[in-house]
Amino acid sequence: MGQLWIGLCRNRKAFIGLAIVLLIVLVALAAPLLTEYNPAARTGRPHQPPSAEHILGTTRLGQDVWARLIYGAQTSLAVGFAAGLLITVVGTTLGIVAGYRGGKTDEVISFFTNMVLVVPNLPLLLVIASFVGQAGPMVIALILGLTSWAWGARVTRAETLSVKQRDFVKAAEMMGEPQWRIMAFEILPNVFSIVGINFIGSVIFAVITEATLEFLGLGDPNVISWGTMLYNAQKASALSVGAWWDILAPCLALALLGIGLSLLNFAVDEIANPRLRTGGRLARWTSLVKSGEGRL
Amino acid sequence: MPFLLRRILFYLAAFVAAATINFFLPRLMPGDPVALMFSSAASELPPESLEALKLTFGFVDGPLWKQYLTYLSSIFTGDLGVSVKYFPLPVTDLLGRALLWTVSLVGTATLFSFVLGSFLGMLAAWRRGSRLDVVLSVSAIFATSIPAVVTSLVALFVFGFTLGWFPTGYAHDPALDPSFSLAFLASVAHHAILPLITLCFVLTGGFTVTMRNNMINLLGQDYVVMARAKGLSDRRVMVWYAARNALLPTVSSLAIALGTVLGGSLVTEVVFNYPGLGNTLYQAILARDYPVIQGQLLVMTAAMLVSNFIVDVSYVLLDPRLKRSG
Repeated sequence: MGQLWIGLCRNRKAFIGLAIVLLIVLVALAAPLLTEYNPAARTGRPHQPPSAEHILGTTRLGQDVWARLIYGAQTSLAVGFAAGLLITVVGTTLGIVAGYRGGKTDEVISFFTNMVLVVPNLPLLLVIASFVGQAGPMVIALILGLTSWAWGARVTRAETLSVKQRDFVKAAEMMGEPQWRIMAFEILPNVFSIVGINFIGSVIFAVITEATLEFLGLGDPNVISWGTMLYNAQKASALSVGAWWDILAPCLALALLGIGLSLLNFAVDEIANPRLRTGGRLARWTSLVKSGEGRL
Repeated sequence: MPFLLRRILFYLAAFVAAATINFFLPRLMPGDPVALMFSSAASELPPESLEALKLTFGFVDGPLWKQYLTYLSSIFTGDLGVSVKYFPLPVTDLLGRALLWTVSLVGTATLFSFVLGSFLGMLAAWRRGSRLDVVLSVSAIFATSIPAVVTSLVALFVFGFTLGWFPTGYAHDPALDPSFSLAFLASVAHHAILPLITLCFVLTGGFTVTMRNNMINLLGQDYVVMARAKGLSDRRVMVWYAARNALLPTVSSLAIALGTVLGGSLVTEVVFNYPGLGNTLYQAILARDYPVIQGQLLVMTAAMLVSNFIVDVSYVLLDPRLKRSG
């Protein structure tokens, strides 16, 4: 872990990525200090262009766009990290158990994993969310966590299969360590970089998907987040009336967060495996996913 | 069991799983599932149509397994019910019409970005570490990490509204009747350009990264070294020795990508008001038209499974080892 931290500080991609993500987190946390406006209140005339008073202009309802953007960051980040954590925990657990236990357990888990992988994710989410009704941010995080773990499970399983063959695992088995202990303390630390990549990737996915669901009108429109900002702006035909600030502000914020997280993901990849710096851990990630292709 | 037969059985199971989700979701929600699903229908549909709709979705008297079998049998006979919003249009007709637009949009975009992405990935891998590689890799990272919503909205704003180069909605000029005339086809192409570019932007990055990484792994192989030692030209080694083999795994990522493309195209269609599945779904969500929402999950799953199967078949053809390992 210490090495990972030093590596992160030395790597340029990691530095930029981390800086972007930290900046967004800080701005989100310090939101009350950075604006005097209430993000939900009418504080100006409708669709005012950016000015000294409203630095990013106002929405059609006269709310301050900058205030909504930084308060909305809280929601988007919270959903992203909560769902990312859930996806990673479920995927890692299933992956390690399937890979280590093998046999029938593996067959059952792998069958479900592959099944979830071939049912297209967004349409599935849309069906679930449409029945839930106006889903709040944490409900969205929960739905995402329960439907999107399959990638992580498959990749962790493949990695576990190779770690399981190593001598220290055999030694632990011979010393009679219980299975859960071997999985938690021998296998898990050795697949940690895959878990890290899975986590950051899942956060990116969750942030994007939450925004998409809300943009499509499946979120709670009263919640302030980047997704509902897009939804409200689109509903107010912001682009066709020329109120570009209303729609471009959340767009840029989403793009920035996505780029920051991806840079971080690629950097973790490079640091965890210096030998693979040209090929990259992500190459192995994709090839591991594929190695499961031909079988059920 | 032969490889392909196993895959077919697996896809069948996956399709039934999607149908099962459809069946149980309304029944798992708090409250009366019939009231939940058909609340908007009750006022708009004549009573006998409403009864038929309930039957299609398995709301019959009897135990749960009987309801489930009723639902499955209506699905496998191709009955997805009728749309509540566009009554009396059957869901299959509504989605079938939309599917044509989506498939042509997504198909063209996938094909184009597959070719472009693989080509760029090949160049990046061949000159790995060079400035070209850095530029291509970094922009591929950026392109794949920006949400499709964002790309579509920004493209619509810049090229649709600000520069006015492309139309800002619909698949063709509404004044023209669909026909095979030159004017109509030109209008279709003109309307498709912006959604296509957006989809390609989202997709190409993924193919570039996959191709680059596959190919870097292959460049160290003995047969590539041998080809160079024989004094073959760089281009010949790059294309016919390294790239040709690096393409094999990319073909399988093509199938996985399709799921993402379908998702991305949903959003792109909504933004560009393009009359495909995505937009149909969006209208259905706004109207809480549940038969259409549920139907599109089945149609999209089926599309995904069929494309996966096509990839499986091509894989067997491309990689003879699979036939023997069966």
